[in-house]
Amino acid sequence: MLERVPAIARKEIRELRRDPIYLGLAFAIPLMMMLLFGFGLTLDVKHLPLAFEDHDGTPWSRDYRDRFLHSEYFDLAGVLDRHADVEAWLRTGRARVIIEIPPGFGRDLARGRPTSVGVTVDGSFPARAAVITGYVGAINGLYNQDALAAFAARRGLAGGALLPVQAEMSVWYNPTLESKNAVVPGILVLVLMLFPALLGALLIVREKESGSIFNLYASPTGRLEIILGKLLPQLAVAMIDYSILFGLSRWVFDVRFTGSLVVLTTGALLYSVCTIGIGLLISILARSQLAAMFATFLVTLTTAFNYSGFVTPVASMDAVGQFIAQLIPATHFMTLVRGSYLKGLGFAYYWPQLGALAVYTLVIYALAWGALRKRIG
Amino acid sequence: MRRRLLAMLLKEFRQLAADWPIVLIILWGFFGGVYLSGHAGAVDLNNYPVVVLDLSHSEESRELISRLRPPNFKIVAAVQGDREVVEYLDAARASLAVIIPPDFAHAVQERRGRFQVISDGTQAQMATLAAAYIAQIGGQYALQLHERRAGPAAGQLSQLPQVDARIRVSFNPAIQVAWFSSLFELFNMITMTSLLLTAAAFVREKEHGTLEQLQVSPLRPAELFAAKIIPSMLVVLVLSPLSLYGVVHGLHGTPLRGSVLLFYSVTLLFVFSIASLGLALAVIARNLPQAMMLMLLTLWPMMFLSGAMAPPESMTPWLKVLSLISPLRYYLDLGFQVLFKGNGLADVWHDVLGIAVLGSGLFAFSVRRFRRLY
Repeated sequence: MLERVPAIARKEIRELRRDPIYLGLAFAIPLMMMLLFGFGLTLDVKHLPLAFEDHDGTPWSRDYRDRFLHSEYFDLAGVLDRHADVEAWLRTGRARVIIEIPPGFGRDLARGRPTSVGVTVDGSFPARAAVITGYVGAINGLYNQDALAAFAARRGLAGGALLPVQAEMSVWYNPTLESKNAVVPGILVLVLMLFPALLGALLIVREKESGSIFNLYASPTGRLEIILGKLLPQLAVAMIDYSILFGLSRWVFDVRFTGSLVVLTTGALLYSVCTIGIGLLISILARSQLAAMFATFLVTLTTAFNYSGFVTPVASMDAVGQFIAQLIPATHFMTLVRGSYLKGLGFAYYWPQLGALAVYTLVIYALAWGALRKRIG
Repeated sequence: MRRRLLAMLLKEFRQLAADWPIVLIILWGFFGGVYLSGHAGAVDLNNYPVVVLDLSHSEESRELISRLRPPNFKIVAAVQGDREVVEYLDAARASLAVIIPPDFAHAVQERRGRFQVISDGTQAQMATLAAAYIAQIGGQYALQLHERRAGPAAGQLSQLPQVDARIRVSFNPAIQVAWFSSLFELFNMITMTSLLLTAAAFVREKEHGTLEQLQVSPLRPAELFAAKIIPSMLVVLVLSPLSLYGVVHGLHGTPLRGSVLLFYSVTLLFVFSIASLGLALAVIARNLPQAMMLMLLTLWPMMFLSGAMAPPESMTPWLKVLSLISPLRYYLDLGFQVLFKGNGLADVWHDVLGIAVLGSGLFAFSVRRFRRLY
């Protein structure tokens, strides 16, 4: 019953080969995206412009200021003289955070008394504001620990005596916390969501617009044959994209790969079938190429981006966010990819993800099969 | 000229209206999509999943654990052994493990209490943030223990040289992500609508062979392009205020502090710029699949480089330079400055300039290229 699949596939391959620009772009764009973002995109928030309003001007306040500037997280944007400037600097973005050191800061610390500083953070970009808040708290905390230790030393106590509890931090899977180890595998997931879906999105609706779909309707070709015949050539393109991206990640970006290539490739294959299916389903439902393209962009570009866990861990989302995240295949594949690259686990660990992708794929193709009506009008 | 343009415009609107699925999709994007995006990005540590292995079973260890609480942390499990800790981290059911050694209580009494924290580094940014929070929690607990121990012997803590950092977040005091993400999604929708509608409207004429008809008609290239751009402008102009007031402001409570009039004037200019980009791509592409690839090639980097993923000041220098040719970067900056901070034209004129220069450059390119082609 599937004997006409090769014929349909051959026709699709021929069409791909007759549009070398399109085919070239289908390989070139993932490559360019990976190079661009792998090298350029860092999700680290660093070099934030910081301004001080120093009313103290003692060695103590200078020492405190240096603590912030010696970290790579902050760059000095300037020192303010008047309080009136604080608002203007934050408003125009000259500074993202302003620390106001009150008069008497050094005097209080010298006498061993507590003091305070006022920190104003630009909250217009929440990600940045949250990170700034964390950094300021941590740097201030370190300053306090040292201040206490110095104080204790002056009083003739042992150095660490004032710190009865301390955390010993260690980081697993990505010990240097390099952004690239998170970004590069993440790009792989996003590209394999976007591209196959877009490859699939125009396949059927294009024939509807040009009218050649009637040839298919009139032929004895079955619905499953049409779907499979259209799927296979695109799947080949998607898997070549996958190989290119994987190669780049290993040999250009030097991302550690500790897991099993078999698991990753199985996952990528299943995932690509699934995402092509999403495009195909949209293509079957849509009446115009524009609608199919718009819907695919909406579903893949923004949804995968927001909910896959690329930036925000799914566990940190609210209930609605988590629910949506579970509904999209990118989330499951992201877990598998990150784990395969960094955690070095085998098949046994990824049955839930592979299972979810398989179920997803079956549902998508069942819907596509049901929606593909071989009739006119 | 006006009559020719009007006739062409009428045709464009008819075509758009006849394609009712696209109308539904755009409506969904402007309302459903913008609403849902408010649930997507949690940027702070929000219920960061923690697995706890408490080998001490002491008052001290329990007190330390009790400090790992929402909104920042959420304890997903208290386990009995190392193996389970590893399992939780491997399966990504927890992103942080806190291990308290058996002699913790005793060690705390001797002022050398140490506990182990293992952080899942696959999400580097969150791991960094988690480390900062854990350090703070440890420090605060230590201070309180110290204070308690000093006990009645006078408020010792108030006698210690400590700096209290009083942090205040302006413009968004509670760091509500939805305020940002819904507005960002609206900007994305405006961008996508302007780009896709315009480019597809033009390429369609190419694919159906009707471009040649238009070519021999009295319609001038600039009029043809205007007729392709104006529908996108109208769609954005009608839908985005509804979405802005209804969803972004209404449902998510985002404060709108600035001049909406200024914002919409620039939005029109921005739609013109992006639509011109769409035209430029449509003139280059021979068919819609090619145009789609080219749109992806421009749309994706624009979203990445807009400054919403990582702030512009943290970008790699060459990427920062590259972001200067992205109209969305200027628009995002302007949108947040005007709507969110209440800034005026004096603060954002350079953004307006950037959008205008890019837009007119692209428009001129499309017209010239189009003339050369036919």
